[in-house]
This record gives sequence, C-alpha cells and structure tokens, in this order.
Amino acid sequence: MKQVPQSQAPAPGASQGKAPASRLSVLDAIQDLGLLAIIVIGAIALGLLSPVFFTRINIENLLYSSTIIAVVAIGQAFVVLVAGIDLSVGAVLALSSVLCVALPLNLGLPVGLAAVAAVAMGAVVGLVNGLAVTVIKIPALIATLAMMSIARGIAFIYSDGRNIAPVPDVYLDIQAMRVFGIPVVILLTLALFIVAHFVLSRTRFGRSVYATGGNAVAARLAGIRTNRVIVIAYVLSGVAAAVGGLMITARLEAGAATAGFGYELTVISAVVIGGVSLFGGEGKIGAVLLGVLLLGLVQNAINLLNVPANYDYVVSGLVIAIAASLDVYRRRYVEAGLLRRSIAGKQAERSRQENKPEKQHA
Amino acid sequence: MSANLQTAGRRSESRAWTAGSPILVARGIGKSFPGVVALDNVDFEIRAGEVNALVGENGAGKSTLIKMMAGFHAPDEGEIRVDGKLLSASPDAAHAAGVATIHQDHHLVPNMTVAENIMLGRWPSRFGIISRREQLARAEEVLARVVPDLSPMTLARQLSPAEGQLVEIARALSEDSRVLVMDEPTTSLSPPEIERLFEVVDALKAQGLGLVFVSHWLEEVFRISDRVTVLRDGKLVDSIPAAELDHAKVIKMMVGRDVEEVRSSPREPGKVVLKVDGLSRAGVLDDISFTVRAGEIVTLAGLVGAGRSEVANCIAGIDGYDEGTVSIDSVRVAPGSPKKAINAGIALVPEDRRHQALVPQLSVATNISLSVLDRISPGGMISASREAKIVQHAAHSLSIRMASPSVRISTLSGGNQQKAVIGRWVARGPKLLILDEPTKGVDIGAKAEISEIIIQLVAAGTAVLLISSELPEVLALSDRVLVMRSGRIAGELDRDLLSQESVMNLATMG
Repeated sequence: MKQVPQSQAPAPGASQGKAPASRLSVLDAIQDLGLLAIIVIGAIALGLLSPVFFTRINIENLLYSSTIIAVVAIGQAFVVLVAGIDLSVGAVLALSSVLCVALPLNLGLPVGLAAVAAVAMGAVVGLVNGLAVTVIKIPALIATLAMMSIARGIAFIYSDGRNIAPVPDVYLDIQAMRVFGIPVVILLTLALFIVAHFVLSRTRFGRSVYATGGNAVAARLAGIRTNRVIVIAYVLSGVAAAVGGLMITARLEAGAATAGFGYELTVISAVVIGGVSLFGGEGKIGAVLLGVLLLGLVQNAINLLNVPANYDYVVSGLVIAIAASLDVYRRRYVEAGLLRRSIAGKQAERSRQENKPEKQHA
Repeated sequence: MSANLQTAGRRSESRAWTAGSPILVARGIGKSFPGVVALDNVDFEIRAGEVNALVGENGAGKSTLIKMMAGFHAPDEGEIRVDGKLLSASPDAAHAAGVATIHQDHHLVPNMTVAENIMLGRWPSRFGIISRREQLARAEEVLARVVPDLSPMTLARQLSPAEGQLVEIARALSEDSRVLVMDEPTTSLSPPEIERLFEVVDALKAQGLGLVFVSHWLEEVFRISDRVTVLRDGKLVDSIPAAELDHAKVIKMMVGRDVEEVRSSPREPGKVVLKVDGLSRAGVLDDISFTVRAGEIVTLAGLVGAGRSEVANCIAGIDGYDEGTVSIDSVRVAPGSPKKAINAGIALVPEDRRHQALVPQLSVATNISLSVLDRISPGGMISASREAKIVQHAAHSLSIRMASPSVRISTLSGGNQQKAVIGRWVARGPKLLILDEPTKGVDIGAKAEISEIIIQLVAAGTAVLLISSELPEVLALSDRVLVMRSGRIAGELDRDLLSQESVMNLATMG
C-alpha cells in the first residue's frame, strides 16, 4: 500500500507526540472536574455563610436527601443516552409508593412481595413507554407525558388521594440502618452508580446504548437491536423510579400519591447538568452523580439560608440555568485552550519544516 | 484599490477568458482548529463574470474557506474584502455584502411556499402584514431568471433536491447577491438536473455574477469553470485559467504526487456465495436475479435511482421485499433483519457514511468494534484486549491515519472515516461485502487506497458486490458488471466487454 507523506496526516497535531491522543480524555476530565469545582466552591461559600453546613449531620442529610433523585437519575441517564426522555418517573415513583404500602394493607400481601410488585409495575410502565416509542413511534416526550398522567392518576384512584399509613417497619429499619456509621441507603446508592458505570463502560449493552443514542441507523446496520436497547433503557428507568418510590415511602412514612411531584424535571436537570447530551450518545454516569450532588447542595443552601419557601423553585431554576451556562462556557474555554496549543504546535512544526533543507523532496 | 481594479481590467482584456474586476478578494488567510487542517496564507479571488472552481482533496481547506466567505468563521490571519470593504465574520454581514452560499442539501423551510422561502425573513410587508401580491411578484421576477417553469406557490417540501437548489439560487438573486458560492451542488442531482444547473450558472455568469464552484468531479469542473483554484493541506497550490489545465494536471496539483490507477488483475472466482433469485419489491425492484462468487467483484452500475442501493438494502436486511430469495452459501437469508443478514455473513458499507455508518460521538476504536460486539464480549462484558487487538489489526491493515484509536471518529478526514467503516466490516470477516459508493466524498489518495483494500479482500476470497457511479472505478475493479435501469437488470457485461460506452448504453437506453 502506498505510503503517504507525513504532511497528509489528517490531524494537524499528529506529529506532536501524545498530546492529541489524550486530548479528548483530558477534555472529559476537565469537564467533570469543572462540575466538581463548582460543587466544592459552592460548599465552601455555603460553609462561610452558614456555620451549620460543615456539620456531620448536615452533610449526611444533604447526601441522604439526594439519594432518591440519584437513583431515579441513573435510570433516566440510560433513557437520555439512547436519545429519549422519560417524564413519567415522578408519577411512577408515586404509584410505587402507594402500592408498596397499600398492597399489604388492602390485600394482605407480604411486605416483600408488595415491594417486588411495585418494582415490577415500574418495569411494566417502562416496557409500555419503550414499546410506545419504538413500535408505535410516538415521540418520547408525548408517550411518557401520557404515561405520567396515567400513572399519577392510578396512584390517586387507588389511594383515593390520601396518604396511606402505617408504613411497614422494615422500610423504617432499612432507612435507619448504618454501616461504618454511614447510612446504608447512601452506600447502596453509590453501589448502584458503580454498577451503572460498569454496565455503561464495559458491557455490550452499555456500548449498544451509546451507539444507539449516537446514531440509531448506524447501530442497527451494525447488527445492534436498537429497539430492544431503547426498550431496556425505559424499563431500567421505570424500575429505578419504582425503587425511588420505595425510598420515598420510608422518608415520608406513608404511601403517597402526591409524592415526587416535579421530580421528572429535577432528575432530567441532574442528568443534563451531569453532561449527558439530550441528543443522546454522549455522557458519563459519574458526572450525573455530580449533577445530583449540585442540585442537593442548592436545596441544602435554600434550607440553611432560610430562603422563603415560595422562592424555592425560582432559585432552583436559576441555579440550573447558571450551571448549564457555566458548563457551556467551560467547554468553550477548554476548546479555546486546546486550540491555542494546537496553533502553537503547528507554528513550531512549520518553523521546523522551513528550516529543513528542501533537498529531501527532490 | 483602484490600481488593483485597473490592472485586473487590463489583464482581462489581454486574456482569452474574459474576467471582470475582482468582487471578493481574500488575502493571506490563515485559520486553525483543534484537530482540523487549517488554512495557511491563502489568497483567493472571485471576479465578476467568472466561475472559479475550488478543488482539493478532503481536508485541503475548501470548506473552511467557503465557511469564511459565508461569514461562519473569522480568519485568524489575513482579511476578506468585498468591493474593497472588509467582510466581518457573520452570516448577516456576508449576506449584506452580497455573498450567498448554496449548500448541497437545500436549506428551505419545508412547509412554506417557494415564494415565501425566496423572500424568507424579508417578506414585503406594511405594518407587519405581509403583502402576498408583492411577495409573489418579487419571487416570480427572480424565479424567471432561474427556473421559469416552477410555480412560486409550490411548497418547499415538494421540491426535488435540484429544484431546491435553484430556489436557493433565486433567493440569493433576490438579495442582489453578486457572489454565489456553490458547495458541491451536483452531489445529489441527476445528469439532466446537473446540465440544467450549469445552464443557470452560465446565464448568471453572463449577468456579471462571480461564482465559486466546489466539486469532486473534475469533468464538471472543466465543463463549468473559467479558473481552477487548487488547495492542498490548507495551502494554495495555484489558481490557473481552466483552459491551461487538463485532468491529469489538476490531479497532480491536488495530490502533489502522481496517482497510479489501480488495475486489478483478472481473478479466478470460486464457488457461488451470494445468490439472489427473483427479488422484487413493488414499484422499486423487478425480478432481480444474479450471483456473486467467492473472490469475485460484481458491480451494480447504472444511473442514480436505477435501484442499485435498493438491491443492496434488500440483501443486507435493511429493507424487506415482496418476492424472491437471497441466499448465502445456498442458505436462505431471512428478509428484513440487518442482524440476521450479518450473522449470515453479509456486510454492507452504506452509501451515506454520516447517517448510516458513523457514530460521531464515539471513538474510532468503538466505531470499528461495533460490528463485532458479540465476539469481543463473552458473557456480555467487553474484553478490552480482544477489542484492542481487532481495532489495531483493522487500523494497521487499512492504514487508517489517526492520532490514536481513542480520538473521536468525527475528527478524521472523510477518507479515513470511510476506511474505519470498511474496517468495521473487515473485522467481522464477511463472506459477502457490499460496498455502496465506497469512494464517494473521499479524496483521491484515499480512493486509491480503498480500491487496493477491495482488491486485497477479494484476493483473500471475499465475494464483493460493488455499487459505484464512477465509471473509471467500475472499469478498474469489476469482474462483471450488472447494469441496472428502472429497477431491473438491463444487462450484464463481462470484464472483456467493459467500457464506459457499453455501460452507459445499457444504463441510459430505454
């Protein structure tokens, strides 16, 4: 095969050693670090403003209260990665909450079985969402919006709009459980993130998720069953939301049809702040965790700084907008930095070439 | 500036090619992007009444230069002046200065009429109420110069790509544009449509517009242009009157070296691998039957729209079909499932690389291993070492040039992207490899390399079904050519009967 001279190499940086090879991973790392930096700076600022912030109880509370959003966000991340969106998660969470308390009370189902039934409900809802999107081809926004209304409605019908109590003791026991002094719920949530990270980065399914979200046609032509991948993503989201429902039941000490109102937007915000592209195919689950933490920090700040309750939503919305804008600027800045480097490298290369004797071309 | 104009005027008088004064002048343009070849000290001129063809391999800097003239990029160095006035880097400024760009896919609002699209954003109105009559009148006026037979009330979504382009040209005229930049305008057009476009271009030239024409097809370049400007690796090679050039000279300027044309030696094909029998799809394909043997290149030739890609799509399971069978090694392949086709040993390198093959967000390595996920992930877990081995082998055997397999595939040049897509399928070791326009939009150096790769695969016993619109490529590679016309196989040509004329005769004769 014909050897092409160096100057034909596609990447201008190809002869600059290793820099371009790691360019993207550096970029990714800086993006994640940027989010981390925002969180750290925010935490320090909050610590200065409120002496309560850096207490063990407050930190634990912050993490603990983020766990539900975190778990639901894992499922949502899969859906957004396949270029979908799941608006039904808040409603599924509520229905799961109602079922896991009401089934033992009304039907005498064992508590464990009721929890499994609630999670299975989440899976079925996800399956229906997935089939609606892939087979009937309803846009995801509409399909899951309809499901959001239906699931919330069933929760209200079944509970008659009342909080259902008492919650089985086992929920409260798990909630209170600690390992090495850390609430077990926090540890389990972290474990779920590690599992999700592994699935996305190391398994055939995870690779198929990125390929399907990145270019569904190309993925299908490469032999990936894209419809199946998409359906599984919605099922995972439904399951995650149902698990979130079990968690919120313990927190509220009731099965509540009103639980998780507006959670879908918080969860999607966390996923997007975490850098998952709404166009699909791009993003990391670790960064989603950071997105969740940032939102948790904001909520914590609202509580600690006594922001009037009515301002809650406005403040949250502003923070999401600011975080997203900062992210855009940061990316631009990083790219500009890389650009400067590549120009410098190219100029160096050019002067090198100009110094070379012309003989070698002859 | 006036001195410049005078010299330009004098020169035009003394030359056979009558060029007017320069409208747009770019001097010493330099531009860098991370990971993309830049422009380096490029001078460029567009003169009134002249078609300047901008040619060069992919990555030579044509698109960057075009985007700069359209105001999408600011030059890092140098300046662009229109009528002596500095062009600032914004699309609005470019429009205001009279520089319009026509892209290969038209950018029209699908649910608006041709008239509304022509006057887009500048609808004639009084107190905010659009005057339909005036809009129609002004649209008709410019349409008459370009496509007199098109009704201004047609909806844009009903237009063919060719009509869409002509409407875009009409829009440019309605803005009193004096420079038209056409970026590969002929890619999605049929030969009669191309001829129609060229007539329009000739007419506009006579009206004193300055035109830039970008194309990979040198025949078109010579048909239409007065001047050929060649870029290579972001640098200006030369800008010369077309009359002083020929095909070989331009190619040599583009690649900076002589390109040896690949001639495949006659092969000894083995047993039948692919058997297509009576394949029919209502309104698209009619009773298609043929075979491809191991170690043989069979080419589907014919005009765009003759049904070649449709045959490929049916074989590869992308589309279903109404009648007929497709078999690999005498085993029937279930229709309508790409996965089943792949498992049967069929691989397709599709025509539309960007939409059907690349996952732009993912790395080169991930893109290559996409077809072999099942083989590198025992128990569902991807084995990094197996993946690396496959990727390394593909990158090496296809000489994919990249900084590393972990860079995004979107940072590669078109030719290297295509090699990566071919590598994806070679990695699977298919029995039948279907290549649909494998060298489309690929620069000349990479074209030769891809031809070489195809020859090596066939020598190793792969059956190849090739679809190509480039007759020289068809003649150089094929063992047999099946010429298609309106969904049927119009005839079969063996290697010794092959010629441009024989293929075109079968393709075009009713």
